[in-house]
Amino acid sequence: MSTSTISLDQLIAWLSRFRDLVNENQSYLTELDSAIGDADHGSNMVRGMKAVGEKVGAVPATAVDELLKSVGMTLVTSVGGASGPLYGTLFLRMGVSAGPVTELDGVALGAALRAGLDGVVARGKAEAGDKTMFDAIDPALDAWDTAVAGGKDIAAAASAAFSAAENGRDATEPLVARKGRASYLGERSAGHIDPGATSSTLLFQALAEAVTS
Amino acid sequence: MMGIVVVSHSPALARAAVDLALEMVGETRPSIAIAAGAGEGVIGTDAVKVAEAIDEVANGDGVLVFMDLGSAVLSGTMATEFMTTRDEVRLTDAPFVEGLIAAVVLANAGASLDEVDREARAAMAAKQSQLAGHGQAPTTDLDADRTESSAVGTTTSPNVESAPPAEVSAEAPLINPDGLHTRPAAAIVQALATMDAQVTITDITSGTGPVAAHSLIGIMSLGATKDHVVKFSATGSAAQSAIETLVAMTADGFGELAN
Repeated sequence: MSTSTISLDQLIAWLSRFRDLVNENQSYLTELDSAIGDADHGSNMVRGMKAVGEKVGAVPATAVDELLKSVGMTLVTSVGGASGPLYGTLFLRMGVSAGPVTELDGVALGAALRAGLDGVVARGKAEAGDKTMFDAIDPALDAWDTAVAGGKDIAAAASAAFSAAENGRDATEPLVARKGRASYLGERSAGHIDPGATSSTLLFQALAEAVTS
Repeated sequence: MMGIVVVSHSPALARAAVDLALEMVGETRPSIAIAAGAGEGVIGTDAVKVAEAIDEVANGDGVLVFMDLGSAVLSGTMATEFMTTRDEVRLTDAPFVEGLIAAVVLANAGASLDEVDREARAAMAAKQSQLAGHGQAPTTDLDADRTESSAVGTTTSPNVESAPPAEVSAEAPLINPDGLHTRPAAAIVQALATMDAQVTITDITSGTGPVAAHSLIGIMSLGATKDHVVKFSATGSAAQSAIETLVAMTADGFGELAN
C-alpha cells in the first residue's frame, strides 16, 4: 500500500474520525468555551459534524473537491456559531484547491490545507498569536510542508502536523484573545486554552489516525 | 426601492427589531427580509440563509445588511460569495436597532442605498448626544485599541447654508407629550420625502440646530421635547407647502394627542 498519497476513502475516514473525536471531546470543548466564550463550541461542532456524517453517507462523493465542498457547505448551514463560516471556509477552499481528483499527494494535500487556512484568515482576519484556530493550524501546516519536503510519507507528515498543532494549541493558554467573543474579556482571557485551537488540533489528530490505521 | 436584510443569532430578536422599525412607517413598507437562527431552534446564523434573504429583497436598488455580532458578521461576509444577485450589497456597521429604524424610515421614503447606509451608521449619534453629560466608563488602553476602527461618525446633521432668498419659515410649539421623538421624526422625514424642499428644523427653546429635516437622526438629535418651540425653514419650489405641512403636523401633535 502506497503511503505517498491519500485516497478519497481515507479522506472520508479522516472526516469520520474527526466527527468521533469531536463527540468524545464535546464536554471538554464546551468547558473551554465556557471559560472565555459562550459555551457552544462543543455542541456546535458536534451538530456540524453529525450533519457532515449524514451528508457524506447519503451522497457518496466521487471526487475530492466534491467531497470537501459538500462538507464545507454542510458546516456553514448547520453549525450556527462562528465556527460554521470558519470551518466551512476551510473545507470549501480546500476543495477548490484540490480539484476533481480521486487522491492527493502530500504536496497537494498541504497546498489544499494551506488554501483552506488562507480562506479562514481572510474570513476572520486572525493573525498569529490572536488566540484562535490559526495558532494550531498554521504551525501544523509548516510542519507538514517540512516533512513532505524532507521526503516523509503522508503518515509521518500527518503525525508531525498533529504534534505541531498540539504545541500551538497549548501555546494559546497564556495569550490574550484578540478575535472573537473571547476578545471581549481582554486580559481575563489569558490562562485558558483556546477552544478553536483545540478543535483544530482534533482535525490533525483525526488525520494522523486516519492515514495510519 | 432598496432592500434591507436583518441577520441575527435569534429569530425572536430579529423579528422584534423589524417590528419596532416598522412601527415608524405606515402601511407601505420597505422590502425587508430576516435571516436569523441556524434552524431547528438553534441560536446562530447561516450564511446560506443570509444569501437567500439578500436575493429575496434585491430588486436593482441595492441591499443593506444589518448584523448583530460575531458569527452574524462572518455569515454576512460569506453570504456575499453565495448570493446570485448582481445588486450592490453593503454590510453596514450601523447599530442594530437604531440603525435599522433609521434605515426602514429612509428606505421607505425612497432614499438611495448610500443615503440609507449613511443615516444608519450615524444612528448612534442621536443617542450619544442625548446622553452626553451622563458620564461614561473610563477608557483603558485596551478600549482605545478596540474602538479605533469603530469610531462613530459624529453627525449627519449638516449645518445649513445661510438662508438663501425665498426662504419660508414658521415657528410652532410642540404639543404632543414626547416632542420630536422617533415616530414624529419619521413622520416628518416621510412627509418631506417627495417634496422639492430643503427644510431645516431648529429648537428655538434650547437653541439647538438647525438640523436637516430629511434626517431622522438629525431631528432626534435636537432632543426637542414638549412645549419647546421649533422653527421650520424651507427653500425650494415646494417650500411653502412643506412649511404648511409641518406646521399642521405639529399642531396635530403628530397624531399622538389623546385618543
